[in-house]
Amino acid sequence: MSAPVVETSGLTKTYGVATVLRDVQLRMLAGADAFIVGGNGAGKSTLLRILAGLEAPSSGHALVFGQDTRSLAARYRRRIGLMAHQSFLYPNLTARENLEFYAELYSLADPHECADQWLGRVGLADAADTRVRAFSRGMEQRLSAARAMIAEPALLLLDEPFASLDHDGVETVAALIRGAVERGACVLAATHVIPDMDGVEVAVFEISRGRLIQHAHKEEVRRGGRIRSLLGR
Amino acid sequence: MSGFAAVLRKDLRLELRSGESTLALLGLSMLVLVVLVFAFGAARARSFDAAAGALWVAMVFAGMLGANRALLAERDNAAIRGLLLSPLEPATLYAAKLAAAFIFMAVAETGAVVLMVLFFNLDFDASIARLAPVLVLGAIGFSALATLLSAITGRTRGGDMLLPILAVPIFVPALIAGVKASAAALAGAPLASMADWLKIMIAFDVLFVTAGYLLFEHVVGGD
Repeated sequence: MSAPVVETSGLTKTYGVATVLRDVQLRMLAGADAFIVGGNGAGKSTLLRILAGLEAPSSGHALVFGQDTRSLAARYRRRIGLMAHQSFLYPNLTARENLEFYAELYSLADPHECADQWLGRVGLADAADTRVRAFSRGMEQRLSAARAMIAEPALLLLDEPFASLDHDGVETVAALIRGAVERGACVLAATHVIPDMDGVEVAVFEISRGRLIQHAHKEEVRRGGRIRSLLGR
Repeated sequence: MSGFAAVLRKDLRLELRSGESTLALLGLSMLVLVVLVFAFGAARARSFDAAAGALWVAMVFAGMLGANRALLAERDNAAIRGLLLSPLEPATLYAAKLAAAFIFMAVAETGAVVLMVLFFNLDFDASIARLAPVLVLGAIGFSALATLLSAITGRTRGGDMLLPILAVPIFVPALIAGVKASAAALAGAPLASMADWLKIMIAFDVLFVTAGYLLFEHVVGGD
């Protein structure tokens, strides 16, 4: 049996007197696809930031690739892709320059070619030489998806990946997520929208009062009126 | 090495595109020199001490502005998080930011020296070339200190105000050594006579480059 990509135990995060995450237990293997739902401020983004190593838990453990996320070495960080609320893009660089820069940071072969490929995949080939500051929010979100996935990470953490996207954008990013799962990546997305993931088994979690609860199926969550599905039936 | 080159190239590209830092540094240098040359008056014209002092005041003010801007681009869209999540080591990021700050400051210094020669009615001769090691050491030390401190102050409310309050007192030993060595260089003194001042500047540079290299991970990590 393969080692889990993500494993948390007793994970708790507090800000002052507010407890955002409480005793979170999560275990995900390679090739797993999971969506986390929950209201605004439920702690979804905090959980993703902790798993990415950008924040430390207050107590408990968060392991990624068997390593404590408090001190992830470069060779493990290389295998994580994070799409956050902020795009991590440089407004005064063009879309191509942004992706080339990240391709260089990840030491990918031929950053120029790599950037062009990803611009095509997210439907931004025509805007390759446009500065990001001129992008709409949806275009920036597509480019952010390309940035997060450019190094084909083994763990993909997505925070509201479908926010601000039009119908085509949602389908494009959903297809990229499906592609990532099919190549064996572990995908964990915090979202209010669960798209149709044909051929991919999806686990659905909900964060409520800081606790992570697993639902058997997204219909179970949808019946409770807590999420909406743009593409799902 | 590719991470270092990528960050440095990106910073230079952003600067060439906007010119914000370099133009602001040159503008501020000019303003400081103009004010000081009028403040000193005709009595201090051709004074090497006054010229050296004015040059370093301009450099410190300009350097502060440059340092504030060095990490500003990384705060747009929280790009710093993208860098911290990448395989790039924080120490390498510090080295690249230091190199960028040094280049911006060196460009501003070159402009400031030309303005100093003109405003203080000095000659463009070998003494100006003798300034080079002093200014290079000063720029390295100030860039190293200010890059490290701007990573701290940039995370705080009113950080722009905090940077000069922290940086200038710490830079004082190198500043005094720089002014003294520059005055000696402009007066045509041999390099050996500046040796003690240069040693202080070298020690300052080694101390803060090392401190930045070792500490940057901790000051930028929780951004």
